[in-house]
Amino acid sequence: MYKYSLAAAAGVAAILASGSAMAGKDLDAIKARGSLICGVGTGTAGFMLADSQGKWVGLDVDVCRAVAAAIFGDAEKVKYTPLTAQQRFTALQSGEVDILSNNTTATLTRDTALGLDFTAITYYDGQGFMVNKKLGVKSAKELNGATVCVAPGTTTELNLADYFRAQKMSFKPVVIEKVEEIRAAFFSGRCDVYTTDASGLYSTRAANVPPPAKPEDFIILPEIISKEPLAPAVRHGDQQFADIVRWTQYAMLEAEEYGISSKTVDDMLKSDNPTIKRILGVTPGMGKALGVDEKWVYNIVKQVGNYGESFERNVGMGSPLKIERGLNKLWTQGGLQYAEPIR
Amino acid sequence: MEPEPVQLARSTPVRRIAGGLVAATLLGIAGNAHAGKDLDAVKARGQVVCGVTTGGISGFMSVDSQGKWVGLDVDICRAVSAAIFGDSEKVKFVPVTAIQRFTALQSGEVDMLSNNTTWTLQRDTALGFDFTGVTYYDGQGFMVSKKLGVKSAKELNGATVCVAPGSTTELNLADYFRANKMSFKPVVIEKVDEIRAAFFSGRCDVYTTDRSGLYATRVANAPNPDDYVILPEIISKEPLGPVVRHGDNQFGDIVRWTQYAMIEAEEYGITSKNVDDMLKSENPTIKRILGVTPGMGKALGVDEKWVYNIVKQVGNYGETFERNVGSGSPLKIERGLNKLWTQGGLQYAPPIR
Repeated sequence: MYKYSLAAAAGVAAILASGSAMAGKDLDAIKARGSLICGVGTGTAGFMLADSQGKWVGLDVDVCRAVAAAIFGDAEKVKYTPLTAQQRFTALQSGEVDILSNNTTATLTRDTALGLDFTAITYYDGQGFMVNKKLGVKSAKELNGATVCVAPGTTTELNLADYFRAQKMSFKPVVIEKVEEIRAAFFSGRCDVYTTDASGLYSTRAANVPPPAKPEDFIILPEIISKEPLAPAVRHGDQQFADIVRWTQYAMLEAEEYGISSKTVDDMLKSDNPTIKRILGVTPGMGKALGVDEKWVYNIVKQVGNYGESFERNVGMGSPLKIERGLNKLWTQGGLQYAEPIR
Repeated sequence: MEPEPVQLARSTPVRRIAGGLVAATLLGIAGNAHAGKDLDAVKARGQVVCGVTTGGISGFMSVDSQGKWVGLDVDICRAVSAAIFGDSEKVKFVPVTAIQRFTALQSGEVDMLSNNTTWTLQRDTALGFDFTGVTYYDGQGFMVSKKLGVKSAKELNGATVCVAPGSTTELNLADYFRANKMSFKPVVIEKVDEIRAAFFSGRCDVYTTDRSGLYATRVANAPNPDDYVILPEIISKEPLGPVVRHGDNQFGDIVRWTQYAMIEAEEYGITSKNVDDMLKSENPTIKRILGVTPGMGKALGVDEKWVYNIVKQVGNYGETFERNVGSGSPLKIERGLNKLWTQGGLQYAPPIR
């Protein structure tokens, strides 16, 4: 038998209040400053790059803009700090930036000993294969006996050997140190296959195909043979801020799943669907739990778009990269992108 | 298993006292939450205290004939114990009801919940918890009699469907049929045992609830379980996972990476049966996972043999799934969404490196 206990109710209420009070130190600093400081890379087309107007654009940039939309109702309240791969973790640990959103792979060491939290995966990357269309190959499983261009001494080389061994196929490695020389060797036809992370293959295809050859002459095969889950990172110590980043990402995914886009979001405010009403704050509660405005998802989607819109615009079919959704499709479409429910 | 939305707790007198302490404790650490505090307490006590569900849920957590807790959720707690103590038996299981569970975690009465709790925004934020991962992707599904000859929910146009009233289950059902341009006749019944009776007597063509519940009903309540099939479609999201409270990121990391280690072990073919042989593997990833190449244990703050101990004593994710809820169990749940990402499912562990 359970008897309703006022004492316990008061205790839980206090916890609920402290849930936002105990964290919040980084969030308070962001609010006082009036902008989010987002650590980006020094430039990767499609993911984070300053455009001709000096404005940062890309899939990773959109995550920071969406967090600003959730906190301030304004996706423009972001300052970008370009960081090298060596600088990035120190910059986050020292408080120079609030968040890293720069194609960092979530790994055990970074998640633990460095004192960071990865919030959710923005892009499932991994090693893939590019071939010339003339080969007529549709799958990596048809590459038996192929000549493969690869960088030496890397996990890339090991994964390549493992994959071919597992498929009972042979290959001839062409091992070249410098990236430009690997590309030249591949595009000159010295290798049948070029292997590195799939996002790198798409970038190379968009940026480095020497004329008269065209990007369309090359295809990236569907197989992904390693795990490079790319995710934003925050430092330990302010779980409320981490929650805002995590649920901002989930909100973009959830919006896509429920058909809420930057174009339909105003009409969606009139939806009778209780899930959509809750997501968009028409039924309040979610914003309060997270410690932001009830219109946080509306602001994210209106100003930045849902995950699918951001993906297609920055790295997908609306971009020079033309990356297939692949593993980054929604779970309902056969991909891995799955948002925990907003309720 | 999602009866309770977030709400103020009802409480026993004991828990009322605990509830008072909770608030003081949480407010006290407000400024300087530091890593290791909960982990230190676990180590000093010599046990992980694991919150499971009162009465049990077959396959996920239940007491066997020897009085030992077994199940998929139970194995997560055992694996955490193996990571911390090198011994999967150093767990104390504390049964909590759906209503008590969150207070029990907030108050420190338990170190973690592993009891089919759905990961939602409110629980992850306002309650002051972290979900460490998804141990089981559950969601609403459909069960039919084999006699119908139906292979997919998309063939259910015009069906009579047994469902509980006023629940998200009923809304999801209507949404799904509307989205697929199909009609259905609802048979709305309040009590679970009456729904089951109506379905098994043939009053409805279809019974819909969370799939784990359909599998459990089939094994426990069907006159002949083999006469019924659970269709492949999943029409809602009920991601079930372990929960820890805010305030000790290191303990949270240990629970998170323990789950990932079980998934990673399956992906690399490391099982309780071959893990000793795998210690001799030349594969650099396997050497790193099993601590033959040290570093991962140190980063996590546990013994370098943590994954070896987990897999040797508890098994990889696939082994625990099949033993507790899969083909090696009475439930016979298909892996489905809980297959590894390499097999078409959603189970994906970030790399142990």
